[in-house]
Amino acid sequence: MGRQYEIPVGAQHISLLEPLHFKFTTENERIVRTDANVYYVHRGIEQACCSKFKFRQVSFVVGRVCGLCSISHTTAYSQVAEKLLKIEIPKRAKYLRMLVIELDRIHSHLLCLSHVAENSGFEALFMKTMQYREFSMELLEAVCGNRIQYDFSIVGGVARDLKPETGQLILQRLKNFMPQLEELVGIYQHNWTLSLKNKGTGVLTREDAMRLNVVGPFARAAGLAVDVRNETEDLLPWKEVGFEMITDTAGDVHARNMIRLREIGVSIRLIRNIIDGLPESALLTETKAFPDGEATVRLEAPRGELFYYAKGNKTQVLERLKIKAPTFSNVAGMVHAFTGNEYGSAAAIIASYDPCLSCTAR
Amino acid sequence: MKTFFNTIGNLFRKPVTTKYPFEPTFKPDDYRGLIGFEESLCIWCRRCEAVCPPGAIVFSQDMEGKQTYHFNRAVCIYCGECVRACPREGALFQTAEPAPCALKAENINNGWNKLFDEAIESRERYAAEKKKKAAEKAAADKAAAEAKKTMEGDEGMNPGNN
Repeated sequence: MGRQYEIPVGAQHISLLEPLHFKFTTENERIVRTDANVYYVHRGIEQACCSKFKFRQVSFVVGRVCGLCSISHTTAYSQVAEKLLKIEIPKRAKYLRMLVIELDRIHSHLLCLSHVAENSGFEALFMKTMQYREFSMELLEAVCGNRIQYDFSIVGGVARDLKPETGQLILQRLKNFMPQLEELVGIYQHNWTLSLKNKGTGVLTREDAMRLNVVGPFARAAGLAVDVRNETEDLLPWKEVGFEMITDTAGDVHARNMIRLREIGVSIRLIRNIIDGLPESALLTETKAFPDGEATVRLEAPRGELFYYAKGNKTQVLERLKIKAPTFSNVAGMVHAFTGNEYGSAAAIIASYDPCLSCTAR
Repeated sequence: MKTFFNTIGNLFRKPVTTKYPFEPTFKPDDYRGLIGFEESLCIWCRRCEAVCPPGAIVFSQDMEGKQTYHFNRAVCIYCGECVRACPREGALFQTAEPAPCALKAENINNGWNKLFDEAIESRERYAAEKKKKAAEKAAADKAAAEAKKTMEGDEGMNPGNN
């Protein structure tokens, strides 16, 4: 047994975008043990949602939990509030929610891919991916009126309608994006330099993924077919618009990249189907009821399963709101998958997990 | 080889970025911008203030009962909830114009907190004054009614005068 060194990474580090702390115990450059500390950004949002804000305002508050999956949080909260109010939302609102969630997934996945490239030392690919990502931000701005904080889902439906010309703009931009996506797939799949850092690193086997309850693209890259879009049909009709599960078997960083790129392809198909088959109906179900009882909701955010629990007591203010973000479920798997890798690959592996600590610690 | 030609080509390609302050960027027509207010249409129901998630709208009230609308563009999140809640079409509306930057001289945060508290206080003061006046009026009415009743009673007591 060689001499062991402890290397701390974070909470502020050049290759980390998120305030998370890893302590690697290394032996001859190999990581033998990892400790993680993820609670650096506690903002007390759950408490604020249960004391300061009325239940209709909470959907705007939880949208600020995370910048990247803002729409997933607002939609999940809106759904849980609708369950408490016992209302059914119009079909057009469901379709529009799905549309924005999928657009959001494209931009989130491209951001993650660009960071994997950057942390693997491929700065030019980072720039290229970010350049191609810009179209999705502009589309989100056209649909929601804002680039990041969408405020699109509200309790009872959606806030804005999709204009026909915006729909045409989305289809046009997606058509322009297709060759760019193929180019990206080519680079991420076949680039030799990138494969040195990505292939065979950060491997998580299917058994481990199952044992450690991993969710999202992280689990799907390991061969575990978990996707909330495949399981629930009552709140958002995913299968109706042509959802397809994507899995891989390798479980390494390269497999995660490929999963994300292929999921972008699926998202594009879903968006096209949504715009083509957008039903005509109202946007909002009005009600004067107050939330009562308990409810839970699961939703597939770009990073995995997002879980919301809420309890109402027939007043304007909720009694309890609990948010479980996908990164929280993945922490055990993240720590496990480092073991046996070289310390030099750690940065790329961290980026490939796509951790969102603002969601986790709230 | 392909990479080589790509690299040479990149030397002559135009940059992807735009010179932002000098050139306009992509902006949709229905961008969520500043909230406009039309005083002549407002019915002073204060529903916008009740629904606003960050509390960027507040109404103050002077002693005559006239209300004034205050809006803070730095606190506003431009969600448009006030526009949806407004019962009178056109009184509140969302423009596509982005909010200008806040300057130090405006003291937009602390000044707003003070203004917000003062506005709430002014309303309470007006309500208390109104209540006091109502109570005085009620007392006066009651006294008048009692006086009348007494008079009626007096009249009733002497029916044989006529």
